[in-house]
Amino acid sequence: MKNKGMFSAIVSANEKNSEQFYKLELVFDGDGAQQFARARAGQFAELDLANCKLPQAENIPDDLKDSANRKILLRRPFSFSDVKAAGDKTNVEILYCAVGPATLRMTTLAKGDCVSVLGPLGNGFSLPDDKSKAVLVAGGSGAGPIMHLAKQIKADSPNVEINVFVGAATREKLPFENCWFDKLTTGGAKTTVATDDGSAGNKGFVTDCVLNWLNENKSAASETIIYGCGPEAMLKVLAEIAAEKGIDCEVSMERVMACGFGVCQGCAVECKINGSDKTIYKMCCKDGPVFNAKEIVFKTKV
Amino acid sequence: MKNEIDISIDFAGVELANPVFTASGTCGYADELSDFVNLDSLGGFITKSITQNPRKGNPAPRIVETDSGMLNAIGLANIGLEKFIEEKLPTLEKFSAAVFVNLAGKSIDEYVDVAKRLANEKSLAGFELNISCPNVAEGGIHFGTDPVQVAKITAAVKKAVGEKILMVKLSPSVTDISQIAKAAIEAGADAISMLNTFTAMAIDIETRKPILANKTGGLSGPAIKPIALYMVNKVYNEVAKKYKIPILGGGGIRSAKDAIEFIIAGATAVSVGTASFIEPNCTAKIVDGIKNYCSRKKVKSITELTGSLEV
Repeated sequence: MKNKGMFSAIVSANEKNSEQFYKLELVFDGDGAQQFARARAGQFAELDLANCKLPQAENIPDDLKDSANRKILLRRPFSFSDVKAAGDKTNVEILYCAVGPATLRMTTLAKGDCVSVLGPLGNGFSLPDDKSKAVLVAGGSGAGPIMHLAKQIKADSPNVEINVFVGAATREKLPFENCWFDKLTTGGAKTTVATDDGSAGNKGFVTDCVLNWLNENKSAASETIIYGCGPEAMLKVLAEIAAEKGIDCEVSMERVMACGFGVCQGCAVECKINGSDKTIYKMCCKDGPVFNAKEIVFKTKV
Repeated sequence: MKNEIDISIDFAGVELANPVFTASGTCGYADELSDFVNLDSLGGFITKSITQNPRKGNPAPRIVETDSGMLNAIGLANIGLEKFIEEKLPTLEKFSAAVFVNLAGKSIDEYVDVAKRLANEKSLAGFELNISCPNVAEGGIHFGTDPVQVAKITAAVKKAVGEKILMVKLSPSVTDISQIAKAAIEAGADAISMLNTFTAMAIDIETRKPILANKTGGLSGPAIKPIALYMVNKVYNEVAKKYKIPILGGGGIRSAKDAIEFIIAGATAVSVGTASFIEPNCTAKIVDGIKNYCSRKKVKSITELTGSLEV
């Protein structure tokens, strides 16, 4: 049986969750329900948003007013914040921000609308079967797949202690003001928040919180794993921390994609060959988006 | 009753079930696309470019969306000839579609060596000579913009491929595309493939830098369709018709209507590229749409549509 395909999903909800984040809920039935029920945290789907309406002029943020009318051609990739199989249907939740003309249009999707979806795509995070502690680090819109991962670890590796770190520039830019925090705490994950301006949680970078936590919780490095999803600058620091402490680390990379399934070769991620200085380009969509942090050559200017 | 409609074509001596091809570089080596579309529904399949040695390709960003189109600067990233033969050819052998290998290289010798190595592969219908890639420093488009060079490389590769079909893929970034097509045909090309992408760029106004790491890229997608259509019609009228050489036409095709426009303009077959990124099964839908059109318009053979533009 195929493990991915092109499906029509029905929108069951699409709401603004915080200053920055929207939450889209899609319902799949038939083959789509079966395939998405098996979707792993860190995998993604390509949504066709070309035919979505624009919001009314007063609802278009100033920074998008100039580009809002641009016609969308390519699909846009989104990872999942939650996947729930119920009977013969599967609900997929996507946490997103309106950052460009396509995601701006995405905000107008309404209950009952039909969306063409390719997926599930990519590899997803591995589960920490041989670890006792998992450190999950989310920056900005990277929060979605980290929430999904926390839930999957809890379900599939119940003995693993989950520690979640969520970073954002300000309180308003945190993803979970209304719903996400509850989900994590009721899930039993210890959650630490950091904002650049200190308006919520700790003041400073989320990676500093991770470093402090690792210094205070010196369990054997071999028993801990770090998972990261967020801006490349954050992932780079995480990779450096993990390397220095000898801790396994998986990062979810982001690239502009055209196809999402490996044919356009657009989403190149530079990777070291067996730890040497020689590098190759792997495909973020097909070989990733989750990579072992050790193999990535992070972009210096990000 | 669409199943009764025959849309098979003779393409430079090879019979194809229908006139729809996947374009090189938009369908990999078939394995990825087969998750979404039955490749046996295609007439022809053209692989991603193959070079003698593996090529790493360009740094990211390699692609950027533009209005009704996209730029790419992949840089002929590919697994190289030996790995292609070992890993990919066995998969391609299983398809009923005619398989063409897209050849690229830095020198005429490299093109010839790769062509020779593959010339006896029974599962291949032929080759597409890529002398029009805008995204590499050596080779690529540099062979495709000068009629003398085009003739030289076409003759050398035709000799290497023997009985197999040799299509020459043209660049639109030339003053007179008919002149290039004529040079290729007179040097032995069995078919003309047109078009490769248009050299283009996109700029980030915040940083004042090109968006693509390669600075420039190739424009594809619906944005180029009207120009590609015009160029196919021009080459058909000025060159291909006279020499009775088929054209594989394309550029921004995403529907059966688009495909039929190219056939009316003079194409014997059509190639679908960028649209497969958005709707990976669109080639199969285009095949069905062409059948429906032929049925509706009572077209007995799709070949009677080629170059049937009423002027």
